[in-house]
Amino acid sequence: MSGDTALNLPEDLKTRALHNARQATPVEALAPLRQDALAALEGAAFPGRKTEAWKYTSLYALTDGHLTARAEGAAPADLPTLSDYRLVIVNGRLDEDRTALPEGVSLGRAARRLEGLTTPFAFYNGAALDDAVTLEVAANTDVAAPIQVLHVAAGDAPSHCNVRLEVNLGTGSRLTLIEQYLARGPVLTNAVTAIQAADNAHLTHYRLQADAGDSLHIGTLLFQQTGVSRIDSYQLMAGSRLRRNDVRAFLDKSGAELNMQGVFVARDRSHIDNQLCVEHRVPDCTSNQVYRGLAGEKGRAVLNGRIHIHPGAKGTLAELSNKNLLLNAGAEIDTKPELEIYNDDVKCAHGATVGQLDALQQFYLQSRGIDAAEAKRMLSLGFVNELIMGLPDQAVADWAQPWLAAELGGRPGADEEAA
Amino acid sequence: MLEIRDLHASVAGQPILKGLNLTVKPGEVHAIMGPNGSGKSTLANVLAGRDNYEITGGEALFDGKSLADLEPEERAQLGLFLAFQYPVEIPGVSNMEFLKAALEATRAAQGKEEWDSVTLLRKAREACKQVDLDPQFLKRGVNEGFSGGEKKRNEIMQMLLMEPKLALLDETDSGLDIDALQTVAKGVNSLRGPERGIVLVTHYQRLLDYIVPDFVHVLSGGKIIKSGGKELALELEQHGYGWLTGGQNGDNGKEDQTA
Ligand SMILES: Nc1ncnc2c1ncn2[C@@H]1O[C@H](COP(=O)(O)OP(=O)(O)OP(=O)(O)O)[C@@H](O)[C@H]1O
Ligand SMILES: [Mg+2]
Repeated sequence: MSGDTALNLPEDLKTRALHNARQATPVEALAPLRQDALAALEGAAFPGRKTEAWKYTSLYALTDGHLTARAEGAAPADLPTLSDYRLVIVNGRLDEDRTALPEGVSLGRAARRLEGLTTPFAFYNGAALDDAVTLEVAANTDVAAPIQVLHVAAGDAPSHCNVRLEVNLGTGSRLTLIEQYLARGPVLTNAVTAIQAADNAHLTHYRLQADAGDSLHIGTLLFQQTGVSRIDSYQLMAGSRLRRNDVRAFLDKSGAELNMQGVFVARDRSHIDNQLCVEHRVPDCTSNQVYRGLAGEKGRAVLNGRIHIHPGAKGTLAELSNKNLLLNAGAEIDTKPELEIYNDDVKCAHGATVGQLDALQQFYLQSRGIDAAEAKRMLSLGFVNELIMGLPDQAVADWAQPWLAAELGGRPGADEEAA
Repeated sequence: MLEIRDLHASVAGQPILKGLNLTVKPGEVHAIMGPNGSGKSTLANVLAGRDNYEITGGEALFDGKSLADLEPEERAQLGLFLAFQYPVEIPGVSNMEFLKAALEATRAAQGKEEWDSVTLLRKAREACKQVDLDPQFLKRGVNEGFSGGEKKRNEIMQMLLMEPKLALLDETDSGLDIDALQTVAKGVNSLRGPERGIVLVTHYQRLLDYIVPDFVHVLSGGKIIKSGGKELALELEQHGYGWLTGGQNGDNGKEDQTA
């Protein structure tokens, strides 16, 4: 690729995105969103080298032409089953035959959410959707078992898909939602998940990202707590050729509570960029974020944790902790808490560290006959174990343990042991 | 089984051991005493292979193999065990998981039969009982939040399971209450046998009432300056080290500052 191409990349991407959006086959249920999103896309600029929020993440990989083709591969036959209730979305389209939903949850296909989304990729997602999934949880429904949403992306050549999930939790409802991303091949998943919670709603949310290493992911996860609600979100993420996760949360009713916990791992040459933004817009809300990151070999991980406490948001409690472990000198982790506090009556704590494996701990393990590689693996696992042990759903924990063991350079047979 | 000849070693570039000689034969129990800072833990760490503890002269042979050529895990797999003066806390790694990995690695290397998880758990519980440690400690992070005495008992518990050929116990008695001292001594004695060597580093004669040594050595200024039988420990208890070190007390035999 010539330097010129890279230089023009933001323009090229925009041209391509607009072209795709205008050419897309009309879908009646999505027409209003597509129209508004297209207008937003027209006014947006794709990030370039000087865009602050993209400082650590280059879109250069997209010069392979992911935006020029739609992903058309088939879903693998054996998909992980973490619950009896599930939705399978393949390359952005719902596989209706494999849908099983519990009572009290209704399925729709007309996505609407635009407010709260900010990135050109999210606009493009809305403007070029050819399918979407919306879930309405009826008021006062305690959904019996988790709903697993499998976002499958598959393709043999550079291509992309737009994936959209919107969930509305009615007053007094409870839901466990497991979002699992599975990409195979050089496919860019351009994802938007938007979740709204009304009064007394309680959501337990998982975002599991175990895509193949050559896949790409750019996504926004949006939480809108319009009611006095509680959201507990657990995010387990492996780096890949390119992974960019924007998380935006709006605490919009006094008494709302948001807890986010995440583990991200970047091994080999993989990349993961987490951009977190929590908006406290009204008084007396609580947010608590705990993220642990690991990077090894030439892996690269980024976390930017913005907490924005608006002038009226008195009595806010906001915490963010991000501890990171560098497994070797070639890896890199950049972490930055970013606090914007516009009133005095808040309790806000944040901490971000990047450390290395403890040599004495490693010696202690080795002095007991454990070889250096295994000692490293055990210590890395120990570093994130607390979060994994705290996962409230056993099915997810059972999935997470072998996944993590493998990510951290698992011993052969580690999967069976954990099973 | 352990043959140390004219050993010189430095820690982080600083010479600490300065010509140390020691021979341990199978079945023997040796006690090493000596002032603070004289190099006792350095010796233990050098033998176990800790980073930055570098052999700069002489040699240390374990069953005829030069320890300097071996990784710490290889030494352990050959049957060397160090009970740390300051056992290390490893939050997030459970004691049980740790034992499993340690025993898998060492037993396989030593050609011993593998223990399945049921056997392992049973053995671990027995070992806990032997040192009066609640089996609940198996579930906790390695040494995480353990009291000083609990850490020491955890070391001995590991030793009982690993059945090393040569055990180096670095001040395992410090921090133990009187009852625990007896319990731990019993544990160590249970391991005593014609095939095994034990080296005890201690400051107190009391431990040697329970684990009676065949030899007692005084380490000072990075060297063994006196060796004797168990009665030497009694002498030291009464007279201190002054009569041996010529007035110097510990300080690694540094030159006279006024000279
Ligand atoms: N990393 C280091 N850098 C410099 N000097 C060190 C380092 N580690 C140990 N030493 C020094 O080496 C000397 C010997 O220490 P060592 O721990 O072996 O003594 P010890 O005989 O075990 O003492 P104690 O009875 O107090 O346990 C001490 O003077 C100590 O300060
Ligand atoms: Mg010492």
